[in-house]
Amino acid sequence: MFTNQKQLLELSINGESYELAAACQETLLEVLRNRLGLTGTKEGCGTGECGSCTVLLEGEPVLACLLLAVDCENKRIETIEGQSLEGIMTPVQEAFLEKGAVQCGFCTPGMVMASTALLKRNPDPGREDIMESLEGHLCRCTGYNKIMESVQHAAKSYPEKK
Amino acid sequence: MYLPRFMIERPESPEEAATLLKVRKNSHLVAGGTELFPRMKYGLCSPEIIISLKGSRVSAPQITPEGMLVLDAKMSLTAVNASPEIVEKAPLLAMAAGRVATREIRNMGTLGGNLCQETRCLYFNQKHTFQFREPCFKRGGEACYFIPKGNRCWAVFMSDLAPALFCLDASVNIVGSGGVRQIEIHELYTHDPLKPISLKPDEIITKIIIPKNEGPSGSGFAKFTMRGGMEFAGVNVGVFVETENDLRTCKEAKVAVGAVSGGPQRASAVEAFLKNKGLTDDVIHAASREIPENLKIVPHHGYSKGYLTECLKSQAKTALTDATNAIIGAT
Repeated sequence: MFTNQKQLLELSINGESYELAAACQETLLEVLRNRLGLTGTKEGCGTGECGSCTVLLEGEPVLACLLLAVDCENKRIETIEGQSLEGIMTPVQEAFLEKGAVQCGFCTPGMVMASTALLKRNPDPGREDIMESLEGHLCRCTGYNKIMESVQHAAKSYPEKK
Repeated sequence: MYLPRFMIERPESPEEAATLLKVRKNSHLVAGGTELFPRMKYGLCSPEIIISLKGSRVSAPQITPEGMLVLDAKMSLTAVNASPEIVEKAPLLAMAAGRVATREIRNMGTLGGNLCQETRCLYFNQKHTFQFREPCFKRGGEACYFIPKGNRCWAVFMSDLAPALFCLDASVNIVGSGGVRQIEIHELYTHDPLKPISLKPDEIITKIIIPKNEGPSGSGFAKFTMRGGMEFAGVNVGVFVETENDLRTCKEAKVAVGAVSGGPQRASAVEAFLKNKGLTDDVIHAASREIPENLKIVPHHGYSKGYLTECLKSQAKTALTDATNAIIGAT
């Protein structure tokens, strides 16, 4: 029954176009990490519980571990690698550094992507909004307080740095 | 974790999808995939063919000349939560959609998918490589790890949108290889943990229809979880209250409870209790005490029956208070 059905894909990741042949069952996360070497996006649970594989699909945060690569054709994908421009970090990344919101760093790519999407959607989020956006992200090191602080800090510095 | 191998079919229309589901053996429909793919990764099901509705066009919510709200089942939960038509005509559904899981899941999951999810159990939704290897009822076996002497499956149906649609008296449009039919939302659920949805294998939900509501009304939705959106509901309650023109006397209350048994249930005791009563704090408090009457409550995911019963009372109070405040606030 199983023919190893592969499909030729053209993925647009961080503004660059990648062409590859992917099997139907390959998730976007596997393609990013194993095929394209974009290992910034992490695999935590693999079943949509921890949020560490969050990437932006058409500007909205989604879980790359539950998204088939073949479903992402002709869609704009953004990962953590595309955030800083020529070594200059985004306000969100800088705020994470400044406020000490990174410890082991495994959840950070997902957190940064979700916070970036939040600040694009709502440049002046309240505490509740930040909690709502980050509720799907597990962090076992920081206790979340510093992450909350850094998103609030990034929101303050967002317009002038942009 | 990796997905097992499968092939993808992309039907152009629901009719084609229904035909494919009938013709192709061992096929499974997928819309958002947030519920099916984890199960496939755990090895709980391995369809050879995935019939994907992703990428097909999603129509915007429509309001018919009779005032009914018609929703596409493929709408994402974020869209349901944010759609101005739904917020205006069926705020309860928008509220419930906003409480499902996390933002990432809501961006992927769909309205129809949430209604058609599988029942869940602590001993079922996990990998079975080193523990609980003997199949339980849900995996085609003859054992239950949760209540071994129960001699049946005790899995729980955890959709958040189903109780909301129960309160709104919604109906669903179903396309099958035999044609189109429309059923009431409560007919969709069998309350059998092994087969919670009454759809035939070749049928698909295409539309959700919410009837028009006249007169002053308010709605509230409350959900209890230990870890916010990170886990499925321990218990959820949807409330829809219609009042007389004085905005105080309850004309009709609809209360539905989910996540405590094999299917969503209407809390008939509270509905009868609230009828023609003034919606004061005391009445709401007394009503919320009544809610476990006539309801089947199954312990699940570490919550005991007693704990869930108390939880249900407090969540019902929150939802009823929200609904009452919404009516008064609307003036």
